[in-house]
This record gives sequence, C-alpha cells and structure tokens, in this order.
Amino acid sequence: MKVQTLLSSMKPVKVFAVIAGIVWVVFGSIFVGKLFIDGFGKISPWLLFSSALQVLLTAIALLLYIYQTVHIYQADISDSIVETQKKLTTLQSSSLWIARVLFLQLPLWTTFYWNKEMMQNGRTGWWVFQIAITLLFAGISIWLFFNINYKNKDKKWFKFILSDKEWKPVLKAIELNKEIADFKENN
Amino acid sequence: MVFEAIMQTKQQAQQFQELIAQNKGILIKVARTYCQNEGDRQDLIQEMLIQIWQSFHKYNHAYKISTWLYRISINMAISYYRKNTNRINNNLPLTENISQIAEEGKAEKEQQLNMLDQFISELKELDKALILLYLEEKSHHEIAEILGISAGNVGTKVGRIKDKLKQRFSQYNID
Repeated sequence: MKVQTLLSSMKPVKVFAVIAGIVWVVFGSIFVGKLFIDGFGKISPWLLFSSALQVLLTAIALLLYIYQTVHIYQADISDSIVETQKKLTTLQSSSLWIARVLFLQLPLWTTFYWNKEMMQNGRTGWWVFQIAITLLFAGISIWLFFNINYKNKDKKWFKFILSDKEWKPVLKAIELNKEIADFKENN
Repeated sequence: MVFEAIMQTKQQAQQFQELIAQNKGILIKVARTYCQNEGDRQDLIQEMLIQIWQSFHKYNHAYKISTWLYRISINMAISYYRKNTNRINNNLPLTENISQIAEEGKAEKEQQLNMLDQFISELKELDKALILLYLEEKSHHEIAEILGISAGNVGTKVGRIKDKLKQRFSQYNID
C-alpha cells in the first residue's frame, strides 16, 4: 500500500483532519489510560468515563474514516461500472455513520467536569439547569444518531448540520447507490 | 538493477503514449457526455489519464483494450461528477440552446445533434454510459462487459432509453 500516494491524493485539509484526529486519539488515550491507572478512585468518575467515552467515539469515527479512505483508494477502477460504483458509493455512503458517531459525543461535554464537591454543595437550581442541559444534549445526540440518513436529506435541520460541500458528494453517492440497485433490479 | 527499472518505466511510458494516441477519442467522448463545460472536461481528461497510467500495469489482457479504457474513463467520469459538487449545473436551458442555434442559422441536423447531446446529459449517470456505448455502436456483449450487466438486459435498457429520448424530442416537435 503506497501510503505516500494515498496521502497525496487526499485534500490537504483532510490530511490535516486525519493527523489531528490521530494526535487527539493517541494523546487522549495516554491521558485517559494514566487517569485510570493513577487516579482511579481518587478523581471524579465523571471525568474518567466522559473522557474515556469521548476518546473511544473519536477513535471509532477516525477508524471508519481511514478504513473508508483506504478502501476507496484501493478500489479497482478498471472493474465494471456497476461493480466499481457500487463499491465506491457504498463506502462513501458510510460517511453518514461517521457523523452519527461523532454527534454521540455531545452529552459527554456536559458531564466531564462534574465532581463530588459539586454533588454535595451544588445548588438545586444549578443542578436542574445542568441536568436539563445534559438530557437535552443526550436527546439531541440520540435523535441525530437515528435521523441522520438519506431520507432526511431535504429537511432544514439536515441541511443546516450537513450543508458543507464535503457532504454533497456523500448524498450523491447514496443517490447513485440507489440508482445502481434499480439498474440491477431490471436485470 | 536501477538501469533495468528505468528502461522498463521508459518502455511503459512509450506504450502508454501510443495507447493514448490511438484511443484518445474514447476519453474525449466520455468527457463530452459527462461534462458540458470545457474547463471541467479538460480536468476530467487529466484525471482519466492519471488513472489509466496508474492502472496500466494491471491491464487484464482478457478484455479488449477499448473495454478496459471505457471502464476506467466512465468510472472516473461518474466519480468526478460526484466529487465536484461546486460546479454550476452544466445543463443549459434547452429553449436558450434552440434559440441560439436558430439565430445562428445552423443546419437542422446539427441542431438535432445538439439536442440529443442535451437530452443525454439529462439522463441518469448509468443510462448516460449505456447510451454513449450504444451510440458508439458497441455490441451488446461489449456494453454488458463494460457496465457489468447481462447482454439481454442491455437490449431492454437501450429500448427504454431510446423511448425516453424520443419522448423528449417529441416535446419539441422534432421527429
């Protein structure tokens, strides 16, 4: 596998995103690992589990992206049109999964700073607000996880979240994937 | 060792140049079918050439060279179309085309060919590929091999697309 050729075929912003993602996951894993080894029982379990889950979800999204990019690069472009396009569009369509997984992190950003002192001394009003925010973020992330799909592509919220030009090829890929299915169905 | 490698690359480059010189028509036709804009067409041909060069050593002699080239160029054209989302819509409004052509007083046949190009550009990606190959007078067997469907299905689909195109022509009262 010619990694250099693969990297040169990617847009610089994507290479940067992958490198930043790898750095985040590696340092995050070291940080979380150290917290578990040295601080388990001593530091807030909210910090431990929130950061561990955040790093895990980022790692899953990153692995999905790298798997997809490598397989798209390796696809045999001299294979038949239906076969090649089916392979490519299926891989590209999986990008929606990356978005879904990344949105699952939302509530973790509202829980990692919770600690024992806050639990004991926090005012009721503050906790009501805090729990409402966490529940709201959890609800949004779960809702997005189940609703980020091709069926909703024309909805306002979908366009607002995934309107970036990077997502348009993904939607086109899904469209073509369906077209291929119809094309083959008439066989 | 190094010398042999250089010689081999040089020989490959020469074979590649000959292959492109003999078959550049395929790339141009595919690019024309998928891109109406001249700039996009040139970019697409560049990408096709890069891909053909990168796949050159993998050429499977079980297939005709034209089959192999059509596969790569059409696959590239479809993927290129998907990738370049920021391009403006290539399909010019037909009425505008017709009036322009009429004003310029071009021959009727040329007008019909332009309309055919326009109608083909409105087809779905895979239908475009199918009709392109059909118009190139490829056999059903070769079309099937390029697309990856059965030869029988090629005939059925060609019939349907021809009907669609006829309908489009009849909308403009042209037989």
